[in-house]
Amino acid sequence: MRWVDVKEGFKEFLQEFKREKTGILGVILLVILVLVALSAPYLTIQDLPTKWRSSQYWEDNPKSVPPTWYNMFTSQKLVTQEIYHLNDLSISHPSDTVTVIEADYNFPEGYVGGPQGINIRGFNVTVNSPYNTPTIDVYLLRPDGKEIPLLIGSQLSSGEVISIGRDSKISTNFYIWLVNVTEGRKITMFDVPLQTILIEDMVAPMFARVEPGMNASKIIKNPEPLHGTYKLILRINNPAPKDNQISYDNLKVTFLGRSYGTMGTDYLGRDLWAGLIWGSRVSLTVGILVSLISTIIGLVYGVTSAYLGGLTDEAMMRVNEIFATIPSLPILILIGATAGHITLTFIVLLLVIFGWMGIARISRSMALQIKEQTYIEAARALGAGNGRIILKHILPQLLPYAFAVIALSVPGAVIAEASLSFLGIGDPTAVTWGQILNAAQTQSATNKGYWWWVLPPGFGIAIVGLTFVLIGTALDKILNPKLRKA
Amino acid sequence: MGYGRYLVFRILNALLVLLIVTFIISALFVKVAEKSNRSRMEEELMQWERTTGAQIKKSQGLEAFEQAKKAQKELLERKYELNLPLWQKVFRKTVRTLKLDFGKTSMPIFGTNNVSDIIKVAVPRSVLLFTTATIITIILGIFLGVRAARHAGSAFDRGLSVFALLTYSLPMWWTGMMFLLIFSYKLGWFPISSLFDPQLTGWAHVKDVLWKLTLPVLTYVFVAFGGWAWTTRNIMIGTLQEDFIMAAKAKGLPERKIIYGHALRAASPPIVTMIIFSLLGSLGGAIISELVFNYPGMGRLYWVALQQNETNLLIGLTYFFTVLYLAGVVLADMVYGFLDPRVKVGASANM
Repeated sequence: MRWVDVKEGFKEFLQEFKREKTGILGVILLVILVLVALSAPYLTIQDLPTKWRSSQYWEDNPKSVPPTWYNMFTSQKLVTQEIYHLNDLSISHPSDTVTVIEADYNFPEGYVGGPQGINIRGFNVTVNSPYNTPTIDVYLLRPDGKEIPLLIGSQLSSGEVISIGRDSKISTNFYIWLVNVTEGRKITMFDVPLQTILIEDMVAPMFARVEPGMNASKIIKNPEPLHGTYKLILRINNPAPKDNQISYDNLKVTFLGRSYGTMGTDYLGRDLWAGLIWGSRVSLTVGILVSLISTIIGLVYGVTSAYLGGLTDEAMMRVNEIFATIPSLPILILIGATAGHITLTFIVLLLVIFGWMGIARISRSMALQIKEQTYIEAARALGAGNGRIILKHILPQLLPYAFAVIALSVPGAVIAEASLSFLGIGDPTAVTWGQILNAAQTQSATNKGYWWWVLPPGFGIAIVGLTFVLIGTALDKILNPKLRKA
Repeated sequence: MGYGRYLVFRILNALLVLLIVTFIISALFVKVAEKSNRSRMEEELMQWERTTGAQIKKSQGLEAFEQAKKAQKELLERKYELNLPLWQKVFRKTVRTLKLDFGKTSMPIFGTNNVSDIIKVAVPRSVLLFTTATIITIILGIFLGVRAARHAGSAFDRGLSVFALLTYSLPMWWTGMMFLLIFSYKLGWFPISSLFDPQLTGWAHVKDVLWKLTLPVLTYVFVAFGGWAWTTRNIMIGTLQEDFIMAAKAKGLPERKIIYGHALRAASPPIVTMIIFSLLGSLGGAIISELVFNYPGMGRLYWVALQQNETNLLIGLTYFFTVLYLAGVVLADMVYGFLDPRVKVGASANM
């Protein structure tokens, strides 16, 4: 067989492939997947794998919230993320020493619960006179005219992050205010029940109906939303404006949503959409690499074994059988767990070691038939070496079959990689679908109904699998005429 | 080669694989075990110093104490096999594992420390779950596959193919998570965790077990039956084109009899092999699926052992998985050789 024949055959094969609708669908899906994987840094966040595990990076994201588009399907809508930079805020200077910054926040009708929290960050303070350090007061002016003093006289320094919802001091201040309005009592911070402050959602009641005579703990447990325009007021006192300067250039006020982005967030506030897109890279690479390498190894192994025949064949098949009868998943888990730190290359290697046997056996049986053909004998009579005959005469005939095998073994490899990652035995420097699902499992996302965290990665795995199954079965149909009758 | 010799050859082959795998497991774990053994030895030595050692120091002086300590340390080192070279440790561990002597766990699981006892509790549970599921899958798969083959090209056939391709690409454990979300969280039909209630006995226990088995079994059947039906369909389509089917048709036999009496019997060798291997394959997937459902079988046990670094339990479980798997392989070969005499001639004719 010459390469010209191979080329000719390939052309014919392409023409036949064009007639297979499922195969074409598979190719289209594959192109989309590859494009998505390639454009991950531009579609989402650059260098995601390095940021994925730093909880600091995700601080301004809400935790465990569903995607924004989910609002379209529910009557109880969830507010979205709102970010205010310097230009979106109104700044006034009532006096030399005071700066007032205001942010208008709209809590529209039809939505339940206000934001999940409010983060204020980006102050740049230069202190030359340490005795007159600037301070900040934070108020929330509600649509019913009531004003909550969230923070009074807090010292302001560079890098200061005011986090409403996470700061227990702010929650305490709010609780004191809440009791004062509802029951008319003045309490001190020592009367505030600590577990309420730490466990309950203290932001939702800030955006809820509060009237004298209502029960404070009932409002916290079951807040009735109060819609309208809220005003977050930051009053910054700088007693020595000459010595201590404050720059607001990087100021950022974030009203954390109760819904976020395209795919919601996980328990650390990580953007699951970004994780999902980046995960496709690992899934595709590992899937294709593993099936490609193991197919090549299996092909060469099987053909060599068939060609050499005799005792060598027998020995090679025994080795093959030994590998085939090792239960792979338990052993893979064991090796992964024992080796500790695992890189993607190592995973690929492991999956290849336990994945080449089936292909070797089939290609051996195919090569046994080809081997008996006359032109092989002719080549041998002309003095062609073993390597030459295997590489130039037998392997090219198995190539089309190899493509089908490569395609059909991708889903298995993808699932295997995801399974290992799911068990926590994965590359810690990569973002993979299995790892996202692992986090979902350890945080018992299914028991809490966080569907946006569980469904998409699995669908990703399924789509990658389906893509290659479609291509593989189309190839198989062309190459196995027996099935075409059906 | 006769059937008996063929069988002996297969069994010997399986034993060789078992030996190799056991050796691999032992080699993997000797290093890990050494670390935990050393710390355990040091703990015991400290204990000795505080009690017996302190007495010796008091009554016989420092020199005698040092000597006694040295002797005690050697004794302990021998006990924990820290004095042996690596290859000997691996060898000993291999031999012990082959003799089913797995040792003990550091923490009690299922109320016992003995690895063999722990495995004895977990195995029937896994078997119960996966055998039930596999049997349902096989019956459903063969029935639907035969139907699709009879009406090849129909809407039913095409629908089944699409379903099979879709479920082929799904990890079973993810489907389990999805089913938990839908049926347990959203609809509340099934329990979220499949851990059994230990207080129940008798009929109430049986009911509890059945109730908790339902969702895992459903998941397994959902993921697996499409592939089964599809493979059965493909085998049957091939068989239905054979001459003897034509002959049976020409004789005027009823179609039901042709399909189930002639065609399915002729197609049975690969299907029987598939049955055995799917029973085995399910055990591997069970590791993660049981974890998802919190089902107290071998799979979850494997996970617990991995998390708590119970090397003895891990070795025991892996050994068990391997034995089970190899037994299945031998069984499959036996059945296959029995049903299709060509196999034992073809595969190892030149032995």
